[in-house]
Amino acid sequence: MSTRLHVAVALAVASLTLPAQQGVDPDELLNLEPVLLQAMQKAAPFVVTVETFGGARKILGADGPADSAGPQPPRPQPPKPKPKPKPDDEEERPKPKPDMPLAQPGFHQTQGKTTGIILSSDGWILVSRFALNFDPSTILITLPGGETRYAERKGEDTSRGIALVKIDAKDLPFAEFVHPEQVQVGQWAFALGRTFGLEEPTVHIGIVSAKRRQFGRALQIDAYTSPANYGGAVVDIHGRVLGVAVPLSPAGRDAGVEWYDSGIGFATTIADIPEIVDKMKQGEVLHRGWLGVQLEMSHLGPGAKISGTPKDGVAAKAGLRKGDIILKVDGTVVQNGPHFQMLLSSRMGGDPVGLEVQKKNGEPAVSLTVILADTPYEERSKGQGEELPASFPLPEKK
Amino acid sequence: MNVRLLAPSALLIASTSALVCAQTQDFGKAYSFAERKAQTKVEVVIDRLLPSIVKVHGASGLRTIDPTASGIIVSKQGHILTLDQVLLQEGRTRVVLFDGSVHQAEVLRDDPDFGVRLLKIDPTAVEGELHPVWPPMDEGPLFRTGQVVVSLGNCFRLAEFSEKVSATFGVVVGRANTALRYRMADVKFQGDLILTDACNNPGHYGGGLFTLDGRWIGLNNRLLDSKETNTMISAAIPSRDLVPYLEELIHGKIRVEATTEVKPVWTGIVLFRQAGQQSPPAYVDRVIAGSPGAIAGLRPDDLIVRVDEYSIRSCVEFGKILEKYQPGQKVNLTYKRGTEVKQAVLELAEEKK
Repeated sequence: MSTRLHVAVALAVASLTLPAQQGVDPDELLNLEPVLLQAMQKAAPFVVTVETFGGARKILGADGPADSAGPQPPRPQPPKPKPKPKPDDEEERPKPKPDMPLAQPGFHQTQGKTTGIILSSDGWILVSRFALNFDPSTILITLPGGETRYAERKGEDTSRGIALVKIDAKDLPFAEFVHPEQVQVGQWAFALGRTFGLEEPTVHIGIVSAKRRQFGRALQIDAYTSPANYGGAVVDIHGRVLGVAVPLSPAGRDAGVEWYDSGIGFATTIADIPEIVDKMKQGEVLHRGWLGVQLEMSHLGPGAKISGTPKDGVAAKAGLRKGDIILKVDGTVVQNGPHFQMLLSSRMGGDPVGLEVQKKNGEPAVSLTVILADTPYEERSKGQGEELPASFPLPEKK
Repeated sequence: MNVRLLAPSALLIASTSALVCAQTQDFGKAYSFAERKAQTKVEVVIDRLLPSIVKVHGASGLRTIDPTASGIIVSKQGHILTLDQVLLQEGRTRVVLFDGSVHQAEVLRDDPDFGVRLLKIDPTAVEGELHPVWPPMDEGPLFRTGQVVVSLGNCFRLAEFSEKVSATFGVVVGRANTALRYRMADVKFQGDLILTDACNNPGHYGGGLFTLDGRWIGLNNRLLDSKETNTMISAAIPSRDLVPYLEELIHGKIRVEATTEVKPVWTGIVLFRQAGQQSPPAYVDRVIAGSPGAIAGLRPDDLIVRVDEYSIRSCVEFGKILEKYQPGQKVNLTYKRGTEVKQAVLELAEEKK
């Protein structure tokens, strides 16, 4: 027995005194360099330069008349949404001007080059909506070989900060996308851009910081993202695209630019949204879905209790009223208000949503299906931050 | 049974005591003042190069201009290279070496072509030897995108008195070509710049950018304000491009400078101008018959987007870029007509008076 004890002590001491660093080469990290170069070589052929010319150079925050430059594009403007009626107790706030470019105050966007990704061999190119903030009259794409082509503007998704343009081409090398479910937090993420120079893309290195950010729309990365690589490919070590670098933030709109080079960046995932990309190819401008309900946050569940339904909202038209409790969304049991918002936040305008609503205590729940509207401009500009508090009371488990 | 029970508990006690031992041991190590030797590649290269980097202190007084910079020792005779956008005053310029010794420096010359400045200290006043660095003179690329680099300099003047300068780590983000350089403010150097994400701040300017095998590849430039993106960019002047300047001053070789008379050029292309603050894109309004523009085939409503590798985003830019050329020179013009992007060669004529 005493021998055993000695052995055990010796083992324990041996295992504990071994420094953790032993057996690990600190220079291992530098092996990243060849891996990075390989990934870059793989991805460089489908990373392109985007240039825009002309357009309304309106900068947010300036109240003066828009300074028009160049011929205006004959582009259909999205219908202006009606202002949302405000509850009486809410203070009147100055209304934001509709259809202003979604740049942030404090950051003066210049109409410089940005980056894009070739989506298919026949010339579909994915760009950042940031690139189109000026509503340009001309968009030109320069391919990695140096050839410049005229691009036609197609659809966009304002909630994901991406847009599509089309050039006339065939047999282009195109990107391979990784499904976000295949992404692991902590894996390498290299952000490529083609804003500076044409020979090779610029590169910033980092890791995937989080998955399913922006309500399941984007990855969070810590590789630097800035106007120098917005629209660029965020690739893995094999040169496959994890996402598109775009300015995003929970504060809604095109916010996020103010976070440039901060170590907080977003890459919109693409492999999980083929139907959205198809709609964008049809030229559709997509927004976050809007149901038009206000919730009673003091109601801790189960279900989400409605405290108000703005007139003209989808919910009001569907007959939802103050005091109704939403029990299920597409069959998923709603835990509480924030959970309900979480479930709806990933939906787009035009999406059908099945709701199960308890109108009155004791009565059986009513099932109904509604089609979400596009989030009105006022709501978008207000930011999602107001709708969804950063922290909310969790229901106490019994 | 007894033994079985006893063994795990003994193991537990033993391991706990060993853990306590190990902790005290580590605790002691962490507070040891004995300097550890450089081990990893990054550590080794920083250790080796720190003696080649100096701190430069100039005159104080103007708040808008940094009175502090970094410098690189480039000769055993005491030549030190730094950036010229730092306020240095004759007779009041001090250089602090790696060992903390302070030396009075003579400002030899500013070079407006590079935006660099050469200082000289008295090498006989230095204890021991100076450790100069020199650009790698072999063939092949000086740097490549994605390469791991170390940047040395006095970031934000953090290194006070005899403290050592800061080392930052990053990769080469890319290369800023001449056309891009045009869209950046405050760059005197005309060639390609090295862009990096290794931290570069006031005070770090004039320090060095090195590869992990200790090659000196760049002189830290000021943070650049890019007109392209409206963001700040860390950049460095490639060391090899500084060689002619250094050789001239250190080894007395004379550079032959070609001076040319500047003559304005004429294209016969009249652009569509519009009242307003912003300059509109370079749409062609009309082309004078028989002019270089007409010969190149330009027509009204064409949009000029590029002259050689320079992007043209406005009428004003078109004029500014053409100032770089001489009459008789040919430029490649890229323009958009309808939904097509076309190219033409434009032979520039001399402006008629």
